[in-house]
Amino acid sequence: MGLIREPLDVDFVVDPRPLTEDEKKMISDFIKADKAKRNPKRPRKKAHTPNKA
Amino acid sequence: MRCNPQHIDIEIDKLTNSIENVITGDRFQTDVSLIDKNDVKSITKNDGWLFNWKSEYKQPDRDVYKLTIKGNPDVIQGLISITEREDHVYLHLIESAPFNLGRNKVYLGVPGNLVAFICRISFHRGFEGYVSFTAKTQLIEHYQKNLGAISAGGQLMVINTDAALELIDKYFKD
Repeated sequence: MGLIREPLDVDFVVDPRPLTEDEKKMISDFIKADKAKRNPKRPRKKAHTPNKA
Repeated sequence: MRCNPQHIDIEIDKLTNSIENVITGDRFQTDVSLIDKNDVKSITKNDGWLFNWKSEYKQPDRDVYKLTIKGNPDVIQGLISITEREDHVYLHLIESAPFNLGRNKVYLGVPGNLVAFICRISFHRGFEGYVSFTAKTQLIEHYQKNLGAISAGGQLMVINTDAALELIDKYFKD
């Protein structure tokens, strides 16, 4: 099992201020873009319809 | 225990991983679980905690988890507060116990352990591991290096699916 050893002189703290609506949107847009990058949409293949004789 | 029965289940309510004693290098198995009323009494500013965890606990949209050493549930090693957003889990606060801060910290791995746990929650809640938070400017580089977080603009950071999987793999491989 691994472990993430933070440097001794670093304490992980986040900024506790509330997010603005713009910031919330920025995060959602980023996640959407990241997901799109991970799962690029493949162009749809046209359904093959056999020629009727 | 305060929890949202729709999202918290026994499996993710308590997971085992480890933290490391700085001096001896010994590793100790840990548990992560939701805090309760009794915990709130011992995580005040008078006890050396920097943030107001009582207020965090009272907010109905937030879940506050504690990290403890297995078999020693009364000594809290670190705390984390989260909210579920539309497409990810947002990390409001994270804090190591006063004795795990600075150069004289007793245990290493507390924040990483807690963040990996939250990534796992994100998967369990259907968010593909996505976690976001607002970083202190001077810590952005550390978050990128140690957690694999990506800047989403300004101080906003996102842990994506790949980074979340890596964190989970480090802590919950077993």
